[in-house]
Amino acid sequence: MPSVIYHPAYRKYAFGEDHPFSPLRAEMTLELLRALGHEVRTQAPEPATREDILTIHADYYVRRVEELSGGLAVPDCEEYGLGTPDNPAFPGMEEAARWLVGGTLQGARLISEGGEKRVLQLGGGLHHAHRNFASGFCIYNDLAVAIHHLASRGLWVAYLDIDVHHGDGVQQILYEDKRVMTISLHESGKYLFPGTGEIHELGFGLGRGLKLNLPLEPFTEGDSYLEVFDRVVPAALRQFQPGVLVVQAGADAHFDDPLADLMLTTRDYEAIFRRIFDLADSLTSGRVLFTLGGGYSLRAAPRVWTILYLLMHGLPVTSALPEAWREKWVHLAGEALPRTLHDPDPGHAGIPNRGEIVHRNRQVAQRLLDAAARYWF
Amino acid sequence: MLVRDIMRSPVITISPGTTLQDAYRIMQEKGIRHLPVLEQDQLAGIVTDRDLRLATSALSASPFPPGGRVSEVMCRAPLTADPMDPVEDAARTMREQKIGCLPVMDDARLAGIITGIDLLDALMRMTGVDKPSGRLEVRLPDYPGELARLTAFMSHRGLNVHSILTYPEGPGSVRAVLRIGSIEVRMIAQDLRRSEFEVLWPPEKPCPR
Repeated sequence: MPSVIYHPAYRKYAFGEDHPFSPLRAEMTLELLRALGHEVRTQAPEPATREDILTIHADYYVRRVEELSGGLAVPDCEEYGLGTPDNPAFPGMEEAARWLVGGTLQGARLISEGGEKRVLQLGGGLHHAHRNFASGFCIYNDLAVAIHHLASRGLWVAYLDIDVHHGDGVQQILYEDKRVMTISLHESGKYLFPGTGEIHELGFGLGRGLKLNLPLEPFTEGDSYLEVFDRVVPAALRQFQPGVLVVQAGADAHFDDPLADLMLTTRDYEAIFRRIFDLADSLTSGRVLFTLGGGYSLRAAPRVWTILYLLMHGLPVTSALPEAWREKWVHLAGEALPRTLHDPDPGHAGIPNRGEIVHRNRQVAQRLLDAAARYWF
Repeated sequence: MLVRDIMRSPVITISPGTTLQDAYRIMQEKGIRHLPVLEQDQLAGIVTDRDLRLATSALSASPFPPGGRVSEVMCRAPLTADPMDPVEDAARTMREQKIGCLPVMDDARLAGIITGIDLLDALMRMTGVDKPSGRLEVRLPDYPGELARLTAFMSHRGLNVHSILTYPEGPGSVRAVLRIGSIEVRMIAQDLRRSEFEVLWPPEKPCPR
C-alpha cells in the first residue's frame, strides 16, 4: 500500500494571497480525492531539524532565514534571495519550510528504513533553493535533503524533475556527487526562469555525465515531450542503475499554467506517470518517491496530482468531477473549474509551428545523448 | 541575440588528410586559430593552433613531422552549437568546457563557427546570465524617457533587474534585453503589454484555451 505524506502545517508555507505558490493546491487535491470517494490515509511527518537542513544548506544562510522568520531585520537579505517578490519574508517561514523538508525526508526514510516502495509527499519539491540562497518560491531544498539521506544510506538516487522549470538547485547542490543522477525535463531557458538547464551542464568531477538536462522548446506538446522522454530517460536510468527514483512532479508543464509555455495535457501527464512507474518497477524494485512542485493553474494542478495518486494506487482514472468540489474552490480559481478529471480532447487550439518544435526537440535530445555518452561508455 | 547573428560564415575548413604544415599555413594566412575538419561534408573534428604547436613541439617526446596528418591530432566529436541558440548559452558552454570555439551545426551541416572573439563582440552588446532569472525583450521607441518608463515599471513591482542592455534595432526603435530575478516573467510580460509596452519575448501564447 503506497504511503501519502501530508500535514496541515504545510499550509503555513504561504507567501501571501496573491502569490502563485498556493499551499491550498495540496488541499484541493486531497479534497478532490475524497470527494471522488477515495479514503486517503495520510501520514504526518515531523518538521526537519536544523541538523537535517545543514546537511545541504550553509549555516550563514539558515541563520538569515531564521532571523527573518523571527521578525528581525536582515539588511542583506536580498543577496540571499529573501525578501524579494518571488520569496517575500513572512513570520514563521523558517518553520514552515522545515515542515516541507520534514515531509520529503520522511518519505525518504519510509523507503530507506521502512521498506516502502511508493511514496507521495503532498508538498515540497522546492527544487530552486540553492545551498546559500532562496530562489523561485523555494527556501529550503527538501529534495536535496531527502536525496542526501537516501544516498548516505547506500541507495543511489536517480532524480527526475518534470517541473516546467529547470531543477537548478538540486542539480547544483549535487553537481559533483557520483551517487546521484539528475535528469530535468523543462522548457528551455530562452526566456523562462531560471535560465539554466542546458544540455552541456553535465556535472563535474565524479558526477560528470550524471547530470542531464533536456531543455524543450516553448509550446512543446505531449507527443514531442514523450518522444524525447522515451529517447533519453530509460537509457540514462539503465546506464546509472539507481536504487530509488525521486520525482519532482511539478504540474506547471500543463498548457493552462500561467507561468510557462509547455503544452502538456492531463493525458500526457498520465502517460508520463505510467512510464515512471514502469521504470521504477523494472529498475528500482518499484521504489519511487514523488513530491509536488510547481503548478500554478488551480484548474489543472489538482487534477494532475489526483491522477498521480490514482495511478500510484492502481485505481481507475475516473471521469466526472464532483459538483460540490467544483463549487467549493471556484472562488480560488477565479473561474469555473473543469467538469472532468481529464482535459477535454483537444484541450487547446493547437500550435502553429509544431513541426519545427518537434524537430528541434529531437535534435536537442540527440545532442544530449551524444554529449553524455562520452562519459557513459 | 542568437548564435546565427554572430557566427562566422562561410567557414574555412580542412580535411582529415590535410598535413599539419598546410593547416598551420592556413591559420597563418587567414589569421585564425580554429579549423573544423570535414570528411565528406560531415564534421569529423576540429584542430586548433595549440593542437598543432603541442603536436609538433621539439619539447615533445615524439613530435609529429610537418607532413603528419590532421586526423592524428584533431579533437574528435567536438561540442557544437545550434544557429538558434542564444549567444549567452554558447558562451557558457565554451567557458565551462574551456574551449575556444564552437562549430555551428544546422542539422548535420556546418553552418558557421563562433570563437571567443565573436563572444567578446557580443558581450559589448549584451550581458551575462550568472543568476537565476527570466529574460524579457522589449521594443522601445527611440526617444528620451522610454527606458525610464520601463525601469519604473520594474521598480514599482519591486523587481530586481539583474541586467539590462539596449541596442539600436533600426530606425526609431531600441531593443531592451532584461534579466529579471523572478520566476514570474510570463506574468510580468502580460502586465507590460497591458501597460502598452511591445514585448517580443516571451511571446504571446499562440493558442489561448
